[in-house]
Amino acid sequence: MRAFTAAMGLALALGASLMASPAMADITVYSAGPGGLIDKLAKGYTEKTGVKVNVFQATTGKIMARIESEAANPVVDVLISASWDTASDFAKRGWLVAYASPNAAMVPDFLKNDTAVAQGISALGIAWNPASGTPRPTEWADLAKPAYKDLVTLPDPAQSGASFELVAALQAKNGWGLFKDLAANGAIVAGANAEALNPVMQGAKAAVFGAVDYISLAAKAKGESIDVIFPASGTVIAPRPMMILKWSKQPDASKAFIDYVLSDEGQKAVAATYLMPARSDVKANRPLISDLKILPVDAAAVYGTRDTTLAEFAKLLAK
Amino acid sequence: MRRDMKTGGHGLLGWVAGISLSVIVLVPFVFIVLQAIFPDLGRGSFAAPLVHLGRTVADPRLLHLTGNTLTLGLGVMLGCVAIGVPLAVARALFRVPFALVWDVLFLVPFMIPPYIATLGWILSMQPRGYLQQLTGINLGPLLFSVPGMVLIMSLNLFPVVYFALSRTIEAVGTRYGDVGRVFGARPVRAFFRVTLPLAMPGLAASLLLVFALAIEEYGTPAALGSRFGFQVLVTGIENRISDWPIDLPGAAILSLLLVGLSLVAFLIQRRILAGRNYDTVSGKPQAREKRALGALALPVTAAFALVAFLATGLPILAILATALSKTISGGLKPSNLGLQNFVEVFANTGGALQALVNSLSLGIATALLAGGLGAITAYAVVKGHGRGRLALDMLAMLPSALPGVVVAVGMILAWNQPWLPVTPYNTPLILLIAYCCILLPQPVRYASAAFQQIGDNLEAAARVAGARPFTVFRRIMLPLVLPSLITSMLLVFAVASRELVASLLVAPVGMMTIAGFIWRQFEQGSVGLGMTMSFIAIVLTTLIPMLLIAALRRIAGGRFTGLH
Repeated sequence: MRAFTAAMGLALALGASLMASPAMADITVYSAGPGGLIDKLAKGYTEKTGVKVNVFQATTGKIMARIESEAANPVVDVLISASWDTASDFAKRGWLVAYASPNAAMVPDFLKNDTAVAQGISALGIAWNPASGTPRPTEWADLAKPAYKDLVTLPDPAQSGASFELVAALQAKNGWGLFKDLAANGAIVAGANAEALNPVMQGAKAAVFGAVDYISLAAKAKGESIDVIFPASGTVIAPRPMMILKWSKQPDASKAFIDYVLSDEGQKAVAATYLMPARSDVKANRPLISDLKILPVDAAAVYGTRDTTLAEFAKLLAK
Repeated sequence: MRRDMKTGGHGLLGWVAGISLSVIVLVPFVFIVLQAIFPDLGRGSFAAPLVHLGRTVADPRLLHLTGNTLTLGLGVMLGCVAIGVPLAVARALFRVPFALVWDVLFLVPFMIPPYIATLGWILSMQPRGYLQQLTGINLGPLLFSVPGMVLIMSLNLFPVVYFALSRTIEAVGTRYGDVGRVFGARPVRAFFRVTLPLAMPGLAASLLLVFALAIEEYGTPAALGSRFGFQVLVTGIENRISDWPIDLPGAAILSLLLVGLSLVAFLIQRRILAGRNYDTVSGKPQAREKRALGALALPVTAAFALVAFLATGLPILAILATALSKTISGGLKPSNLGLQNFVEVFANTGGALQALVNSLSLGIATALLAGGLGAITAYAVVKGHGRGRLALDMLAMLPSALPGVVVAVGMILAWNQPWLPVTPYNTPLILLIAYCCILLPQPVRYASAAFQQIGDNLEAAARVAGARPFTVFRRIMLPLVLPSLITSMLLVFAVASRELVASLLVAPVGMMTIAGFIWRQFEQGSVGLGMTMSFIAIVLTTLIPMLLIAALRRIAGGRFTGLH
């Protein structure tokens, strides 16, 4: 029995040793991926200001679920989401602090408002494996051609805000025809972004219809056989809003964090992950917004009909 | 006073179990129920109750999701019976060559996170996967189908049945079957009429666990099912929380439906076992003689080897191949292989080493806490008296029906209330509580099955000899269930060390776990680095318990009987 008591004691001791609350002067940042980026930004900010940053990183959905569950007693100071829609919604709820960072002067107007400013921007494109033995696609519609029969994956628009906007924008422009053709050509919906990309990397599939560009570009930089193609007919972008929550007890440190992310150093870190930097005067080793044709997305309209759009999409692609 | 005599001191242990389970399981569950009713609960508001119920229940896909969930749960149950029962019987009654090796290999599937195993299968079997690169065979169509999914989940879960049943039959021993044979029954008849029925508690308990685990599993249905449009309740729940706008009340309602399915299974199991006596451990000395296999030795060994290869070898090889590949698109060419990913992990890229230390400590703490609590709970349920037992038993079963993500939401809602003077929330302790909640059913199931086989006269004898209730528990009962309990604690350790869904949501800010690290790598497209971490985690979660058991056996000698 002594062993039994000792075991229970050890369990509690281990648990207790894990008890360590964040100190009060720190700021807490909830951020959508990529993980390496927020770690780098937090480290750089701490070096500059001496203020520690506690990071929680997950998908946008998981972060929002956490904030919703915590809302009675929130702890987050700064939120970086992968979907601009969250910024609009939080502003509507009156949860955000208005702040115009001095470093945001070079951020184009459509990437900022009173309460949110972009950290960086991703765009959607075709991620294509050149070793797949298929011709290089240039347009969305190419992927419905016989050369790509059974070789196309799509990220699930129900799990990725950017994919949803792409589906909505293309549907608004051309109707459901393209998606019907894709379904007839054996295209499949394969989970979230990474799950759609993996079979293409190994060569089981040839292309992702609407892949998040920075993941594919980073994979390419690592030597994967992947190309990202932005169709000339247009695509959608996903600016990643940063916002300060109104319940923050460290508003000044939080504002300084936004300033840091928009500083030269911060924006270079953003560009290094193959995201487009928010500031138009920071260089990046990839196509920028000015190189892309952006499809118009009327956020209020498309999010108003989100459920019906998703249901129609699911029906067409037999999900 | 009379009542106290009747409960014979189980009372105190019952109270300990009841209070602990209330804190760990009941509190978050109550908050999930409240969330299902009050959509704005997170903001501390009880406004607009039940507005979501109509919309969620009226969803035409709901029936479809439920049907798919049942198909999967029952399919995996049958698959586990088909694979696990023959192997367990052979292992328990006969001298199987290399028996210990098979036991170790069958433990490994517990250590492989299901979504990683499935990813390994996909990388092996899909067109241009490893199998086709090596042999030219493409088994993609089989993999991306309902039978393929059931097979893969069965291969991942059959050890639950194998270990529970082989231990139970061993405890029954050949003795009762031999009595049957003395009375003229032929071997097969003696087995089916005597030995197998006596092993029912173990079989029924493990099948219930398999069913609950299968319908609650997220990784495999998400990775495989989405490829051929097979959605289950858990993927439906995840979808509601995977992107903006999130739907917490809808997720809570679907979870309660899932809990309902598991409770029905639970009641069926209780009914099957009710009113019978499974006492086989009576205190009389038993010879543990196993029979020789004779001519069957070769085919039986081949069957063990085949299952071990499919359940353990193939996924591990696929994980290792991916971990050693410089790029996924480069394939299995010598020029594309190297240790680069391992170097990155050991160089602590992305906090890999802290993640390992965090998760392994949490795993050990969870195994000890859940194991101890599980033993007490099972004892109070099986050997105690009174009305509280059914409630306690159901409470201990509840978490296996709750998807991890929902447990996580319940934990946050419960433990982040502003009026709490101290809270484990936002400390690593919340992960310990969450893991205990999710994994408690395992030790409870295993220990209950073991307690059910211990005759009451053993306890009565000890009491007559003057032992106090607690002494009886630790000197008589605990040692007798220890083999089953240790097995389940290993399982708890393995699963807690790599639990993904709850870890991702309730992890305190700034804390990295193994699963969190792997998920980050996958999300960034670094499949190789994610697989490398998985491989290291699998090796560690397998080796640590093995060394522990070896050490225990050395110290305790023959008295320690776990995993013999």
